[in-house]
Amino acid sequence: MSNIDEKNVNTPPEGTTWEVELKQVGFVRRLLMARRWYGADWWFVAISAVMVVGFIIVAIFPQWFAPYSPDALVGPRFIAPNATVELSILVVPVDSPVNKLQDLAVPEGGDRPAVAVEQGLPTSGDLNDESQKIDQTLKNQPEGLRLRPVIDRYTSLDETLQAVVDGTDKAAIVQTTDLDVVKENYPTLREAGSITGEQAGGYLMGTNDIGQDVWSRLLWGTRVALIIGFSSSIISLLLGVPLGLVAGFVGGAFDRLLSLLMDSLYAFPGLILAIAITAVLGPSMLNIIIAIAVLYIPTYYRIVRGQTLSVKEEVYVEAAKSIGARRLEILSRYIFPNVIPSVAIIFSVNVADAILTGAGLSFLGLGLPPTIADWGIDLARGQRFIQTAWWMITFPGLAILLVVLSFTLMGEGLAEIFNPKLRDR
Amino acid sequence: MSDDILYSIRNLTVEYKTRAGAVRAVDDVSLDIHRGEILGLVGESGCGKSTFGKALMRLHDGPASITGGELWFDGRDLMKLPMTDMPDIRGAEIGMVFQDPMTSLNPVQRILDHLTETIHTHEPETSDADARKRAEDLVERLGIRRERVKEYPHQMSGGMRQRVMISLALALRAKLVIADEPTTSLDVIVEAKFLDLLKELQKEFGLTILLITHNIGVVAEVADRVAVMYAAKMAEVGTAQEVFAAPKHPYTQGLLKSVPNIKLGEGELYKMGGEPPSLLHPPTGCRFHPRCPFAMDICAEKAPEFKPVANDQLASCWLYQKDGVQQAAVK
Repeated sequence: MSNIDEKNVNTPPEGTTWEVELKQVGFVRRLLMARRWYGADWWFVAISAVMVVGFIIVAIFPQWFAPYSPDALVGPRFIAPNATVELSILVVPVDSPVNKLQDLAVPEGGDRPAVAVEQGLPTSGDLNDESQKIDQTLKNQPEGLRLRPVIDRYTSLDETLQAVVDGTDKAAIVQTTDLDVVKENYPTLREAGSITGEQAGGYLMGTNDIGQDVWSRLLWGTRVALIIGFSSSIISLLLGVPLGLVAGFVGGAFDRLLSLLMDSLYAFPGLILAIAITAVLGPSMLNIIIAIAVLYIPTYYRIVRGQTLSVKEEVYVEAAKSIGARRLEILSRYIFPNVIPSVAIIFSVNVADAILTGAGLSFLGLGLPPTIADWGIDLARGQRFIQTAWWMITFPGLAILLVVLSFTLMGEGLAEIFNPKLRDR
Repeated sequence: MSDDILYSIRNLTVEYKTRAGAVRAVDDVSLDIHRGEILGLVGESGCGKSTFGKALMRLHDGPASITGGELWFDGRDLMKLPMTDMPDIRGAEIGMVFQDPMTSLNPVQRILDHLTETIHTHEPETSDADARKRAEDLVERLGIRRERVKEYPHQMSGGMRQRVMISLALALRAKLVIADEPTTSLDVIVEAKFLDLLKELQKEFGLTILLITHNIGVVAEVADRVAVMYAAKMAEVGTAQEVFAAPKHPYTQGLLKSVPNIKLGEGELYKMGGEPPSLLHPPTGCRFHPRCPFAMDICAEKAPEFKPVANDQLASCWLYQKDGVQQAAVK
């Protein structure tokens, strides 16, 4: 601000220079220039706003970003982030129609397929277990297919694979790491995936205790977190703001009664009240939203009532009466617009708070059914394995931290930028 | 100037309820406002002049209420109207300009919205375009460029905002404008311009203006008649020439002597003795008697009536009433 002012020291003041400049720029420049004009750390707001928008996009379209469905059992349990594990891989000739273990099934009484394995490795055991499982399901189906492979055991990896190249065996089962070493030598063979359908690794944030992808659950959990945060905040806003307006404007016994009610609600420890409400209503998304909404009504009520009380004493409200404005008009055109900016700011901070409370309820097992991908549930789950699988609890925790931080920073930053009383500090 | 009376206030009493008891901020005040005049209402801070101004529109709420009197405005007694009809009078027939132009406009509404809202409130059938055109014509007449109606109050100077406030009263051709200390927060140059504008508007629109102020200079500048209030009572009313040339009430005399004048030497400025009385426990008899240089025995016993003392001049003082005149004894 100072360097602009210096230029114009000798010219008559036409409002200060930044005010003139402010009129000429749009919202984005205003946001970016906030530091210069208002002393707010604009980059806080900019970064957090980008993050908030990012979270909202992820919440609306998690399928664009998540590699797996949140419920799918995609891999072995407890895989560390980006680690690989040994899996039994099905190897077939390049021209073979076989793409998974089940494709080896033949009609009842037909030639049982020969499958090559290396001696002394868990691959033969895996093959046995998996084919029995598949056979059980096939047995009851009308096609009459059975999967009972003949297992040929060879002494080395090369012999095992050579048997498939020669056509002695229809397929071979080889471990992931072994295959990676010798893959180049067998151009006529190809991988047909792991026999269990699991992937060998590449889970960005690892897998959890039942083999779900932590990263995918994290992304899908964004949706749940934001739905809870936004809908409960909107509900408490829709109830708290009109109540505060009317109580502040009308005053008297109505105001006193409502304030008493709101204050007693406010005096309750927040989480305990939410726990009580969900305990009565039972766990479901709607109930958790209702519980949190009830919790935050007094926040809006108190702020709006206080603002209304001060705004209604302003001279312009009296001036409005003197030009013949009626009560409803004064409330809607004079008081409400002057009260709403502070509501917008607490809304943003409130969303963050609601997300936190929602996660807290789920963590305690009071929030959502455990099948839903939710950060609080994942936290509670990860807590049991904190010593062996740190990633299970760390990443959902970080996600909560980031969302809450970005909403809070955006709210506080916007408050600073748009509140003229805070500028020129 | 016509002698026709626009607003006749009869025995108006306004009380504030406080914990210590009821305070009469306006006590049994009668005043006639003539059509097309500028009537200056002067008095010390706290003498009840602003309360009086608001009472003329029945704008009181909260602890204040009008407890007695009649408000004959243009042939109707406003006190007999139900409160729900008052918004129709406010703005359309009686307008008000407030003391602080910086806070008397809604900060989140454009100037245009203020004006069109006033027009639509009272004339709902007016089209948006018409209302807008009227608003623009009006502010242009008051010396604000018509494009500026799109601006918000904070983009305007104090003088401009005060003109906008006047335009709100003019938008519906209010018959009476109550200006409550309109120039107090303006600097002297803007104040002079504003007073000139008031005079012009009075002539052009045939406005009647009640100018409430503590500044005797402002009243001397523009007022046709002057009313002086002291401690919730009307002390003296008369034409500006009469009151300034021959003040009758001792309070008015003291007030005029206390106006700073460049010709006075150091220490020569008159200071009235004593303090304005508490309205919670006003003095018995004439309220000015503890400070009055001409106080007589009767002054402490009985309040004087508000009576004509000269041509158009009225005063409430024993000095001019029946035996009081003969017994005048200077302390």
